[in-house]
Formats: sequence, C-alpha cells, structure tokens
Amino acid sequence: MNEEKLKKILLNLGIAFILIFFLVPFIWMVLVSLSKSPDFLIQGSYSLTIKNYIDILKIENLHFIDYLKNSLIISGLTAMISALIGALAAYAISRFKFHGKMIIVLSVLALSMFPQICIVGYLYKLMSNFGWINSYKALIFPYIAYSLPLSLWILMSYFSQIPNEIDEATLVDGASRLQTLGIIILPLILPGLFSVILLLFMFSFNEFLFALMLTTDYTARTVPVGIALFQGLHGEIPWGYIMAASVVSTIPIILIALFSQRYIVQGLTKGAVK
Amino acid sequence: MKRLKDIYIFILPLILFIGAFSLLPVIGTFWISLWRDVSFLPGKFIGLGNYLRILKDIQFLQSLIFTLLFSLFSVAIEMIIGVIVALVLNEKFTGRGIMRGVSLLPWAIPSVIGARIWQLIYRYDFGLANYLIRNITGSSINWFGSSIGAFSALVFSDVWRTTPFVAIIILAGLQTVPEELYEQSKIDGANIFQRLFKITLPVIKPIIIVALLFRTIDALRVFDIIYVITGGGPGGSTSSISLYSYKYFLLGDFGYGSTISIILFFIAFIIALTYFKIGKFREVAQ
Repeated sequence: MNEEKLKKILLNLGIAFILIFFLVPFIWMVLVSLSKSPDFLIQGSYSLTIKNYIDILKIENLHFIDYLKNSLIISGLTAMISALIGALAAYAISRFKFHGKMIIVLSVLALSMFPQICIVGYLYKLMSNFGWINSYKALIFPYIAYSLPLSLWILMSYFSQIPNEIDEATLVDGASRLQTLGIIILPLILPGLFSVILLLFMFSFNEFLFALMLTTDYTARTVPVGIALFQGLHGEIPWGYIMAASVVSTIPIILIALFSQRYIVQGLTKGAVK
Repeated sequence: MKRLKDIYIFILPLILFIGAFSLLPVIGTFWISLWRDVSFLPGKFIGLGNYLRILKDIQFLQSLIFTLLFSLFSVAIEMIIGVIVALVLNEKFTGRGIMRGVSLLPWAIPSVIGARIWQLIYRYDFGLANYLIRNITGSSINWFGSSIGAFSALVFSDVWRTTPFVAIIILAGLQTVPEELYEQSKIDGANIFQRLFKITLPVIKPIIIVALLFRTIDALRVFDIIYVITGGGPGGSTSSISLYSYKYFLLGDFGYGSTISIILFFIAFIIALTYFKIGKFREVAQ
C-alpha cells in the first residue's frame, strides 16, 4: 500500500515536471507574440495585442508569407517524393533477391552517417554550376536524397511484416509487380506510409543548414532561415514578429504532433528498434 | 530478364537521387579537401596540406573541445531525463495520449524556433530566466558574457529540444519489458527503485545504447541552435566544428572548410564504432 502511494507521488511529480519543462517555453512564445512590447517583465504591465500577427501577415517586406509558402511546398513535395521512392526501393529490397542488395542497403545507411556540413559545401558548388541557387530545386533534391535513408529504413520494416504469399497470389492473377505494390501492398501498410510522410515533412520543414546555404532571398528561403535572420530596420531584434511568426509556423507541426502522435512514434521506433 | 528490369524500375530512383545528391557531394568534399580551393585564387592540388594546417589550428582545437564537451554534457543529461520521462509516459493515467503528444513538441518544431525562444528567455534585461533568478537571488546572470554561461545556456536548450527523442526511443524499449519479470521480483520483495535498477534498466540496455548512438552522432554535428543563440561567441568559445567549417565556406575557403567537415565525420564515425563494439560486447557477455 505504501509503495502504491510513493509511486503515485512520483508519477504526479513526473507529469508536473514534463508539463513545466516542455511547455513553459511555448507559453512564453505565445505570451510575447501577443504582447505590445517584449519587455513586459521589467515594465511591469502586459498589454494584449494581435498587431504582431497582423503585421507579419500583412507587411510584404517581411516576406513571412513567402517563407511559409516556400516551406510548405518544399516540405510537401519532399515528403511525397521521398516516401514514394523509398517505398519502391524498400519493396524491391524486401521482395527480390539480387546481387548487391546488401551493399545498397549498407551504403545508404552509411551515407546517412555523414553530417550535413560534410555535403553542404560541395552542394553549394554543384547548385551554383546548375544555376539552381535560390530555387526550390536546390532544396528539394538534396532533401529527398538526405531523407531517403530514413524513408527506406522505416518502410523496409513495414514491408517485411506483409507475408510474401499475398504478392504471389496477385502475381498469379496476372498483375505486374508495380500493380501489386500499388493496388495490394501499399494499402496494407498505409499507416506506415502515413507516418513516414509525416516524419519526412517534419524533417524538411525544420531543416536549416542546407536552406541557409542554398537560398539567398524570399523566392526560395524557408521558415527556419527566415526566422533565424529576421531583423528590424535598425538592427534590433523584432521579438514580437519573431514570436508571432514562430507561433504561426509551429501550428501545423503542433497539430501533427498532438493528433498523429501514435504514427510519429511508430515510425520513429520502427527505424530505431530494429 | 523481365525480373531484372523490374528491379531496376524499383531501385533506380533511389540510387540516382542518393548518388547525385549524397554520394557525389561526399566524394566531392573529400576531393576538395585535398585542394587549395579559395575564391579569387586559382585552385591548386596540395594533397594533405589542409590536414596539416588543421593540426596547427588553435581555433579548430577550441571548437573540437567545445563540441566534445557539449555532446558529453547534453547527451548525458538528456539520457537521464529521457529515461525519467519515458518511465512516466509508460504508466497508465488519464490523459496519457495528450501527454505523449506534448512530450513530442520540443523535438517536433523547427530547431531554429526553439533556439529563438530560448535566446529570448536568456536575455539579460527582460528575459524570463533572469527574472526568476533575480527574484530568488537578487542579481542577474549575463548568460552570453562568459563562456561557461553560454555553454550552459546551449546545453540546457539542447536538452529541452532532444529529450523527447530519447524518451520516445526508450519508451518503445520499456513496452517490450515482460510484465512477469516485475511480478516475480515483487514477490521477492524488491521495491520500485530496486526493480528499476535491477530489472528495467538492464533489460532495456540495448535500446539505451541505440538512443545514445543516435543522440551522440546528432550532438556532434550541432549547428542550428548555436548559429541562432550565440553565433559561436563569446570569443569563439561556443563555436562547434560544424559552425567553424561553415564560417570557412562563407569566406569562400571551400578547401579548408571541407577538411574540417571531414574531420568531424571521422570523429563521429569512430565514436559510432565504439558504441557498436560496446553494444555487441554486452550482448555476448550476457
């Protein structure tokens, strides 16, 4: 009985700790975004306003809407293409026997060990030669390549759970491999596909170093770079704008995290526990 | 023959993308690191010249030491808090689903946004951290005025951002611990702390090593939060290897910048190998 009590106290302490530690910065972000000035703590008075939000959405020179649009398009395309290519490759690896299969899997995983800084210098040169700097292409192609190992790894573990007999039955009926994958197998791993797409979207939405190096202005610049480089006209840091922009750009991610928590966790742990 | 064609259709897109935008850049970086490749100067093959230069580079040594200390401290603290959070999330209580979602948030949002929030919290004059500290101790801390202050601020922000990742991985491990193990030891009279250290932690040891591996590799390449929060200051004392390399790219010195990044890769590689060794060794020993 005593032990149950102790456990309950510890559990409640733990819950309180998680809520305070994880959430206070978010609350702070919202408070500052809704405040007339960011220094209300020393001013001693807090005045509520939505001016920061109106400004970042209305003032064109701030280009926040451009950053958000770029981010959504780039991350959306990356997530879909990378999941598709990953699904094709993961299917082949889990179903076909062929020479060099292990080499492909191992080298893909080995490449994902390279820190981003190891490829960004050369990527910059490559993109300059292509004339792609400051375009969507300059980010989408490297993002797909850099996220493919994750996509392949997670999807491989989902495919390996589907028995081979299902494929064979469909193939006997005269369907091609591609049809088998698209019509029969993919629907079976839909939750897996969904969690991969969410994770890839989050990865590219959050990515900073490539975007910092490979874009120069609002035509292709993404939200993280925009927020990192946000500056006022006189060099001061416009905290109200930054926090309002942060709130707006984290809303989609927060919704994904809260409502699809199960899928994200599933995808992440599939990749890790194996 | 038809099967072979099939295989290509499935695998080729992956090989093309990774080949062109991962493998080629990696090889290219190795190649560039052997050159004097500076803007406005003709390129010149200098073999290991850049690598010899790095041996005498005091600033590189400083960023190496910073990066290792940063990784050591933040990964160690994240692992401890991550295990605690995972233990909480593994219990049954109302609102557990929401709590698991909340525990994802710091990791799910862009690292730059998290860094901006912490930068604001650490502000000397109107930051929340100093407001609380002033109310308790009566004086403020200038977080970014000293290297130890900047270091602690960075570690704390990183712990906030990446503890969720550790917690999720550990939680997956906790769910595989068979319930019978606990029942037996309850009968034997072990209390909850004994059960934690004698049963839970040993059983999930392999998954702890996996989490350690992922987090260490990731911590060694830290860039975003440092770029935003301190920019490497004060006096270069918080410049990570990634940031140091990036600064050479900015200056147009691609040869030396590439060399620094290659060294970072080798450090991460050696540490990863060590973990693999430890992980395997333990499995054999048990």
